[in-house]
Amino acid sequence: MEKIKQTRRNFIATLIALPIAMLGLWRYLNPKRPDNPALLRLPAADLPAGGMLVFRNERIAVMQENNKIIAMKLVCTHLGCTVTVTPQGMICPCHGSRFDRMGNVQNGPAERPLERLAVKQDGDMLVISG
Amino acid sequence: MFRDFLKHLFPRVVLEQNLKLSYSFCLGGLAFTALLLLSLSGILLLLHYQPAATEAYNSIIFIEEMVYGGKYLRSVHRMASHFFLVFIFLHVLRVVFTGAFAPPRQGNWLIGCCLLGLGVFEAYTGYLLPMDQLALWATQTGMTLLEAFPFGKFVTALLVPDEVGGSLSLLRFYVLHVVLLPLVTLCLCMVHFYLVRRQKGLLPYL
Repeated sequence: MEKIKQTRRNFIATLIALPIAMLGLWRYLNPKRPDNPALLRLPAADLPAGGMLVFRNERIAVMQENNKIIAMKLVCTHLGCTVTVTPQGMICPCHGSRFDRMGNVQNGPAERPLERLAVKQDGDMLVISG
Repeated sequence: MFRDFLKHLFPRVVLEQNLKLSYSFCLGGLAFTALLLLSLSGILLLLHYQPAATEAYNSIIFIEEMVYGGKYLRSVHRMASHFFLVFIFLHVLRVVFTGAFAPPRQGNWLIGCCLLGLGVFEAYTGYLLPMDQLALWATQTGMTLLEAFPFGKFVTALLVPDEVGGSLSLLRFYVLHVVLLPLVTLCLCMVHFYLVRRQKGLLPYL
């Protein structure tokens, strides 16, 4: 009897295992990209004129400036700490970056302004996403 | 042709006493298996990880949450690295207690010491890549410690050209972890195994 390189059993096992492995690899290489979910919904009437609504858990600040509603992330653009909101502006407790009320950098290791988020009006509710 | 090459990897002679499990507990082989697992899981993780200072952490979260098998793969990579370090440490202990560093094996012992250092450095560079608080502060403490050595400032300036967590430093650690250190480790491993074989010792899988 000659020495066989591959038995029928091995061939069938490979025939079953290989497509399953390829399917797993394909699914790994093609993740479903999430579309921008709505991060926050709030009634438009809650927004104080000339003031700022701060949502600590979502790390979002919403304010009205010249009849335009602006939402920005309270995430320091240096290394991602949550900035503290004061009447004069935003200060980052980690390395001391300072931002003005509009989110522009005044001081500190941060170089980019605070990231803005998309605001959409949905009836009498504001939907913030991004 | 492959078969003939594989046959040449087998030695002409293996000493019978080396075949006992209690001689080496196959620790070196286990360490190499962990290294193979690390390479495979690492290559797959490479396809999703982004080595930019602002994107790195987000890409890790993406791998964990959105990628099929991502959480498992990252877990495999982490666990395999723990096991790798444990196994090479035990392997060093075994070599010391069996006197396998004595002549004619002193060359191989030196190569093994280099491999130990390379393995630990590889684990250290990999630690920064997720860019979370643990990673940043571990790197900061390590670099400050390194500065205390002679020529420390020179070495830390090479490793961390901007600050810890800066984009250049992350990139440098990334290249070290993915390309340079694995290449050198692999080459030294091959020499290490060749010398084991030449001294009529035993290797795993073969």
